[in-house]
Amino acid sequence: MIGGFFKIDNIEKSFGGNKVINGFSLDVAENTLQCLVGPNGAGKTTMIDLISGRQKPDAGKVYLNGDDITGWGEHEISRKGIGRKFQIPAVLKGLSVRENLEVAYSREVNALRNMFSMRARGCAEQLDEISRQVRLTKRLDVEAGLLSHGETQWLEIGMVLMQDPAILLLDEPVAGMTENEIGLTVDILNKLKRTHTIILVEHDMGFVRKIADVVTVLHMGALLAQGSIEDIEKDERVRAVYLGTEDTH
Amino acid sequence: MIQNPYHNKTLQWLFYLVVFALLGAVPLISDDAFLLNQLAIYGVYGMLAVSISLCWGSGGILNMGQGIAFGLGAYCMAMTMQMQTQAEGTIPPFMLNNGLDALPWIWQPFQDTTTGIILALLIPTAFYLIFGGVMFTARVSGPFFAIMTLATLSAFATIFVDLQPYTNGVNGISPPGSLNLGETEIDPYSSGAYWFVFALLVACTVAAKLINQSRFGLIVRALKDDPERVRFLGYNVAIYETLVYALSGLIAAIAGCCFAVLTQYVSPAQFEVGFSISIVIWVALGGRNSLIWAMFGAFTVQGAQSYVGDQFLSTWILILGFSFILVVRFLPGGFAGLVETILGRAAKPEMGADTANLEFSDAKEVAK
Amino acid sequence: MDISSIAFANSLILGLSIAGIFFVAALGLTIIYGTAGVINMAHGEFIMLGAYTVYALQTFAGIPYFLCIPVAFVVVGAIGFAIEKSLIRYLYDRPLDTLLATWGVSLVLIQGTRLIFGSDPKYVEIPQFLSSNLEVGGLSLGVFRIFIIFMALVLAAGVWFIFYKTDFGIKIRAVTQNREIAASFGINSGQVYSFTFALGAGLAGVAGALFGALNIVLPTMGMGYVVEAFLTVVTGGGALLGSAIASLAIGELQSIFALITNSTFAKFLIFVLIVVFLRFRPQGLISASGKRR
Repeated sequence: MIGGFFKIDNIEKSFGGNKVINGFSLDVAENTLQCLVGPNGAGKTTMIDLISGRQKPDAGKVYLNGDDITGWGEHEISRKGIGRKFQIPAVLKGLSVRENLEVAYSREVNALRNMFSMRARGCAEQLDEISRQVRLTKRLDVEAGLLSHGETQWLEIGMVLMQDPAILLLDEPVAGMTENEIGLTVDILNKLKRTHTIILVEHDMGFVRKIADVVTVLHMGALLAQGSIEDIEKDERVRAVYLGTEDTH
Repeated sequence: MIQNPYHNKTLQWLFYLVVFALLGAVPLISDDAFLLNQLAIYGVYGMLAVSISLCWGSGGILNMGQGIAFGLGAYCMAMTMQMQTQAEGTIPPFMLNNGLDALPWIWQPFQDTTTGIILALLIPTAFYLIFGGVMFTARVSGPFFAIMTLATLSAFATIFVDLQPYTNGVNGISPPGSLNLGETEIDPYSSGAYWFVFALLVACTVAAKLINQSRFGLIVRALKDDPERVRFLGYNVAIYETLVYALSGLIAAIAGCCFAVLTQYVSPAQFEVGFSISIVIWVALGGRNSLIWAMFGAFTVQGAQSYVGDQFLSTWILILGFSFILVVRFLPGGFAGLVETILGRAAKPEMGADTANLEFSDAKEVAK
Repeated sequence: MDISSIAFANSLILGLSIAGIFFVAALGLTIIYGTAGVINMAHGEFIMLGAYTVYALQTFAGIPYFLCIPVAFVVVGAIGFAIEKSLIRYLYDRPLDTLLATWGVSLVLIQGTRLIFGSDPKYVEIPQFLSSNLEVGGLSLGVFRIFIIFMALVLAAGVWFIFYKTDFGIKIRAVTQNREIAASFGINSGQVYSFTFALGAGLAGVAGALFGALNIVLPTMGMGYVVEAFLTVVTGGGALLGSAIASLAIGELQSIFALITNSTFAKFLIFVLIVVFLRFRPQGLISASGKRR
C-alpha cells in the first residue's frame, strides 16, 4: 500500500524542452478540500491535466486508493472516480440542460448495455436533487448553448456532481461569477467536502480563504509551500512570489 | 411547458406510423410490376439515407464512403444468387473466360445460401468495426475521417475492378436467376419483393430510431458536440463511435443485399465515389438529424432525377449542386430543419405569451 | 548494370515523376488546408478548370503553351477568390459543412463545364521538345514529366518564398497559429483567408495546365487527382514540407510496389500503409496548425 487516499509522487512534465512540472508531489487526505494556488504559469492547469489523463507525465506516479493510475486513459481515470470541471466551461452546447446532466450520470458506461436502456436507474432522482442545488430547475429544457456564462459554470458543476466522483478536480469554478453566485458555490463546496475529496485550482485568495482545508502553493512547477490558509498567508516565500519580488527560484 | 410538436416523441412515432402505413399500402393500389420494382429500389435508397442519418446526424461522423458496406453487401448477395443457379461442380461462366477452372476459395462459402447471406451482412460490418476501430482509437475525426472513408471507397473500387477473375471486373456479376429463400422465390418484379424490402426498411428505421432514443443515442449525440468532455465523464468515446459507424454499415449492407436481389446485378459502380456522396446529398437536403426526413430526401432526389430523365440530366445535376450548396449554407438542418422551425413558430404564441404564464408552467414541471 | 537494377532505377525515376505530380496536385490543397483548415473538395475541379483555361486560350486565341500557364493561375485564382468571398467565408467554423459545400461547388463546376464545352475529350498542345523522350543508358523518361518535376520545384520555391519572405506570408503564418491573437495585432484574417484560398486555387490552375497536357481534358478529370492529393495532405499533416515529403514517399513506394506486384495493387498497398500510419500519427508528418485540433 502506497500512502494515503490520493497521492502524486514526484511528477515531471515538459513541453518542447520546457519543464512545466518539476518533481511535484502531493498527498491528499480523504474528504478534504485542497486548494492549488500559484501565480500564472505555475503549472496548475497542467497538474489537473496530468491527474485526469489529458496529458501523460514524463516521470513520476499518480496513485488513487493505492492503485497506480499513471498513464491511464481519460475515461478509465474518470471511471476510477476522478471527475473534472474545465477552466473554460465545457458543456455539451447542442444538448438541453437535462440531457447534459443525464449524460453526466455515467454509472453505466458500457456501450452495448446502454443501447438497450432508455433511461438510467436513479438518474431522475439525482437529476432533481442536483438541478435544485445548482439552481437550474427552471432551465432544464433549455439548450445548454443558450445559457449565460454563470449558468454554464453551474451546469458544469452540476455535471461533475451527477458523475458523483470520489475526487472532484475543479479548475477555477467561480471565474466570471457574481458575488452572489460565488457565495452559493462556497455553500455547496463546504457541504460537499464532508463526503467528497476536492482539489481546486484558484487565483482568488479571498475565495480560497472561505473554503480551503489545505492550501498548496505551486511555483515554477514545483511545490513552494503547503499548510493551512493562515500558515500560507504568513509565509515569506509565498508573499515574495505573489508580490513579484522573486528571491527564491 | 408547451414544446415544439416536432420534438414530441409520441407525435414523432405517430408520424412514422402514418408514413409507413402509406408506403406499405402501395401494392394494394398498383400492381404494375415495373413500378413496384422501381419503388422497392427507392426503399433501398431510403435505407441508405437512414444509415447515413444515424451516423452523421446523430454522431456527427460524416461517412462519404457508405458505398463500401453497400457494395460489399451487394457483391456477397450477388455471389450467393449466382451460386444458386450454378449446377453442382460448375463455376460461373466469366471465371472460365478469365482462365479459372475451379471455384476460388473466396467463392466457396457462397455455395450455401444461409452462409452467403450471413457473410453478406457480417463482412461489411466487420470491416467497419475494424476500420472504424483503428481510426477512432487514433482519434481521427471530422473532415479527416470523411476523407479516409472516401479514400477507402476508391481503394475498394480499384481492387474490385482489378480482381477480374473473381469479380468479373467492370462488368460486374449478373446472376441469371432471382433469389430463392428455401422454397420461395423472391421475384424482383412482384409485390412480394416490394413488401420484403419495405419490411426491412421499416425494421432498419425503427431500430435506428430506438437506438437514437436510448442512452447510447444520447451519448452519441453528446460526443458529436464535444468528444473530449464525454471522455472525461468516463465513456470510451472510440467504442461509441465505432459502434454507431458499424451499425450504420450494417444497415447499408442490408440495403446492398436488397439492391442485388432487386436488380440482379452488381458492379464496381456501387463503389463509385459519386454514388456514396449522393447519399450524403439526399440526407443533407432532407435533414440529417431526422431519419425519416433523410429518407424523404432520398425519395425526392432520386424520384426527381428519374422524372427529368436523361435528356435534362446535366441541368438537373446543376440544379441539385446549387440547391445542395444553398442548403448547406443556409439550412444546415435540411428540409426537416425548416419544418422544425415552422412548427416551433406555430406553437410559440401559446408558449411565450407572457412571463407569468411561463413561470406557472415551469412550476408545474418542477412539481411533477 | 543488369536488367533488374535498370528496372529498379527506372521505377525510382518514375516514382520521382509520380511524386512530382502528387506534389503539384496537392500544393494548393495543402496551403488552403494548412492555413484555413478548409478541406476543399472542389480542388480537383480547380485543376480541371486550369486545364480547360489552357485549352480555351489555345483554341480560341492561339496563345502559346508557356504563356497559358500563368494565365491559368490568374483565372482559376480569381474563380477561387470569388467562391471564397461568396460561400466559404461563411462556413469557417463548420469544417464538415465546408467540405460538403465545396463538394456542391465541384458538382456545379463539372456540370457547368460540361454544358459549355461538352463531354468529349479536349487536348492541350505542348511545344515539340516537351513531348520527346529522354534516354540515358537504359533509363528513360518523358521530357514533359521532367518538366513537371521542374515545375514542382519552382512552385515549391515560390510558395516557400511567399510564406517565409513576404509580409503576406507573415500574416498567413500568424493567422494559422492563432486567429484571435493575429486579429488583435490588426491582421484581417478574413482577407488573409480569401487571398490564401485564391492562391491555392491558382496553384490548382497551374496543376491543371500541366495535367491537361499529360492526359486528356475532361470535365471529370479532377476526380482522378483529388483523392491522391488529399491522401498526400493528410499524410503530410498540412504543412508545405510535410506534403513534399509525403508525395515523395508515396510516389516512390507506389512505383516500387508496382514493380513488384501491379499498379492497382500498389495503390491499394499505399492506402493500407497510410491508414496504418495515421493510426500512430493522426496529425500527419508535420502538423501545420499551432492548435491540437
